[in-house]
Amino acid sequence: MNATISGKRNTKFLYAGLVIALVISILAPFLASSDPDGLESAAEGVLGEERMSALEELAPVFESPMPDYSIEGHGKAGEVGAIVIGTLIMLGIGLALGKVMKKR
Amino acid sequence: MHIPDSFLPLSHALVYWVIALPFIYLSFRWARREMDDMKVPVLAALAAGIFAIQALNIPIGMGTSGHMVGATLVAIIFASPMAGVLVLTLVLLVQGFVFADGGITAMGANILNMGVISGFTGYYAFVTLRKMKLGMKSASFIGAWAGLLISAIAASVQLTVAGLFPLVAGITAMGTYHLVIGFVGEGLITAIAIAAIERSRPDLLENSFLNPEHGGSVA
Repeated sequence: MNATISGKRNTKFLYAGLVIALVISILAPFLASSDPDGLESAAEGVLGEERMSALEELAPVFESPMPDYSIEGHGKAGEVGAIVIGTLIMLGIGLALGKVMKKR
Repeated sequence: MHIPDSFLPLSHALVYWVIALPFIYLSFRWARREMDDMKVPVLAALAAGIFAIQALNIPIGMGTSGHMVGATLVAIIFASPMAGVLVLTLVLLVQGFVFADGGITAMGANILNMGVISGFTGYYAFVTLRKMKLGMKSASFIGAWAGLLISAIAASVQLTVAGLFPLVAGITAMGTYHLVIGFVGEGLITAIAIAAIERSRPDLLENSFLNPEHGGSVA
């Protein structure tokens, strides 16, 4: 296949991927289960709730701007915003890294 | 299965960083060798997509949920487990620093588990199954499932070494939950994504489709 045609089709792939990623980002706060994940559940099971919550109380090493995929005081809209921002950051990093790394 | 900082003593966390770093280095070297105008958009789309899908926790019963990791999917598309290491490293960096999901000192362990162990296990299971003439969808489903399960067991062993988890009870609990998460969250979504790409862009999968050997080297 001709490289230019393939390049254009890959740009299309990027747009399609980005649309899917953004749709997931917007829906995730409403659809995602709030149950603990596999590791948290396992830890609660083997450590007991008391020790688990003691570990969770420990101050984080680094203060993240949007902990737990949320923006303080903005509820669900903040969660949508946080995940959309994260998806766009990933897109930016992916494109920038690809550009820096690519063969010349 | 993002390990928080409070779960790993600093000395252990550093050891996992030391093990993960050569793989991170090799993944960047892979990018330097492989990236071109055609592959950059695919890499960027996968980085954004994997981040988004990791925010979507799927309920698996037992009061537990789980989400896709995605290293196997990325590795299959680029026909190299190094691609999975690279994308998961980027995703975990952003998750850790921006969203407090997964630790900072524990990030090395998380990159080792979700990038290296899950990607290598998943990809090479996929390649082996393809050589045994299994179809694309079945091979990617089983590969992705195995990658997730084995990486969860690795995480459990690390937490046992850290003095936190009892060995057998830890592996049993982590194994049980991730066996199910691996089916729904990892295997199914990976197979669906591969099937969709196979229909719309079979050329993207040419390397892994026709010749599992191609580009599958470690470095």
